Amino acid sequence: MNKSIVVIGAGVAGIEVASILADMGYNVFIIEKNKNIGGNVAFWHHLFPNNRSAAEVREYMNQKIKVPNITLFPNTEVTDISQKKNVYVVRTNKDATFEVGAVLIATGFTPFDARRKEEYGYGIYDNVITSVDLEKKLERGENITTTQGMAPKRIAFVHCVGSRDAKVGHTYCSKVCCITGVKQAIEMSKMFPDAEMYCFYMDLRMHGLEYERFYKDAQENYNTQFIRGRVSEVSENKDKSIQLKAEDTLSGLPLKMKVDLLVLLVGMEQGKDSDKLCDILHLHKTPENFIQPQDPHLQGNVSSRQGVFIAGTCIQPMTINETMQNARSAALEINHYLLHL
Amino acid sequence: MPTITERLAQDVRFKESINSCINCGVCTAICAAAEFYDYSPRQIAGIVQEGNEEKIIALLKSDTIWFCGQCMSCKTRCPRNNCVGIIIAVLRKISQEEGYFVESRMGRQQLLIKRNIGSTILKYGYCIHPEIVNPEYHPEQGPTWEWVYKNKEKVYERMNANLDKPGSGTLRKIEQDTLQELRDIFEVSGGVELFDKIEKYSFEKAAEMGLASNPDSMDNYVKYISNE
Ligand code: SF4
Ligand code: SF4
Ligand code: SF4
Repeated sequence: MNKSIVVIGAGVAGIEVASILADMGYNVFIIEKNKNIGGNVAFWHHLFPNNRSAAEVREYMNQKIKVPNITLFPNTEVTDISQKKNVYVVRTNKDATFEVGAVLIATGFTPFDARRKEEYGYGIYDNVITSVDLEKKLERGENITTTQGMAPKRIAFVHCVGSRDAKVGHTYCSKVCCITGVKQAIEMSKMFPDAEMYCFYMDLRMHGLEYERFYKDAQENYNTQFIRGRVSEVSENKDKSIQLKAEDTLSGLPLKMKVDLLVLLVGMEQGKDSDKLCDILHLHKTPENFIQPQDPHLQGNVSSRQGVFIAGTCIQPMTINETMQNARSAALEINHYLLHL
Repeated sequence: MPTITERLAQDVRFKESINSCINCGVCTAICAAAEFYDYSPRQIAGIVQEGNEEKIIALLKSDTIWFCGQCMSCKTRCPRNNCVGIIIAVLRKISQEEGYFVESRMGRQQLLIKRNIGSTILKYGYCIHPEIVNPEYHPEQGPTWEWVYKNKEKVYERMNANLDKPGSGTLRKIEQDTLQELRDIFEVSGGVELFDKIEKYSFEKAAEMGLASNPDSMDNYVKYISNE
């Protein structure tokens, strides 16, 4: 039995799978295209639902891979995968070749490129940023100001940017952005106690146990109002503040609002990494362009190809906790497969 | 007889324009008409999606469907790829075919539009021709237009147009055989039939209101609907 596995992607899912399989005695090769591990968590500041520092999760990951039978290959990309019976031969751009019993794809997600929703002015108007930009700024310890250096008095958050939108080809819900919006609104309100926060949503998807508490807290204690309506477009005023248009669908009235800062809650999409692997391995995809599991209930971590497994947000949008659990189930699935080969 | 709801569903434009609506309101937020009138494309999508015959007929009899400017901005934004502008076009046609349009103020004005643009296109080959924008009936155009209208030969010549003359150029006279082709298109595509229906229902309404006793003496009704 070949006791080696290649894990593609050193984010939350990849590292969790790797560390569990290493514990079980397998040799794990992690191939990561970036210099650092951590995937999207690498630049996150605070995490819902308890505002813990993302650095703690990164530290957990760093510790997890410090075992002899895990080897990390940073700055490396998979160029080809071929199969000889039950052995997969994985090649990289660094001319390394791995012969392994199983391959795990944990390529994660790419945040939606908000420039594609041109009507929201990202990349055009200075005071329009994304939820990812906000996390990065907070993580770097930057002051949050408007581009004119002023403390914002009114901040709006736009939900479902790049999600649930046939116009960008993403009809699915990204699952994490509603609660991210609530979390960021609270953070901004703590930073600017006199400022008003507005969240423009279509539906609020508070699916976690604590999320509803967060939502209530934002309304009651953190000056946050929730307006049910999708923002149609924004423009820039002379003073660089942002003018937005939406319909308050609950009162049935169109509204215009001037805000100092607009935060676009960008969703998740599948990037070119998972596309490339799906092409190489001829894997089935869902209509949403995520990697299709063999069976959504019973074999959620098994791809359409024997010996190729999947974990984390390359399967569907997930929170970090869900990704952890999903990764653990993937590890069990891989172990089961290799034991019964 | 199919119900109105069934007729809507049979129209290919309708089928293409409503998939399912999640009431997000982005169409209303972008709609220029919604900014000025008591009009909401989102509510139109809601009513036709619900498919309640009575509510749809009430809509066909109301001013609501005539507020839309057919700009199609709503189409560019809808996250479900609906297009309320096209839905409105289908509703308007059924309202005209069934005579529901005479039950609302803006609906009744269909007669004016039919008699203006509808007859101009067949007479001149243009939807709007300078000749028909008579300052006497169009005070809103102001004194400048009045001057242009009086001096139109010279003004249009200076603008390098070819007003009412044969040959090429802007506002040239459309040749008879071309005009005949246009009329044939209106005939076979049902345009003429629809025009006749607008006249017929308008006359019936005028008679009901005591404003006309035969289809050729509609002046009082026309005056009424121009000013109501
Ligand atoms: S989680 Fe909320 S903001 Fe994100 S796509 Fe779903 S509904 Fe939209
Ligand atoms: S087409 Fe009609 S409903 Fe749509 S945005 Fe334009 S005016 Fe509004
Ligand atoms: S934009 Fe589309 S989904 Fe949203 S309210 Fe209008 S028709 Fe419905």
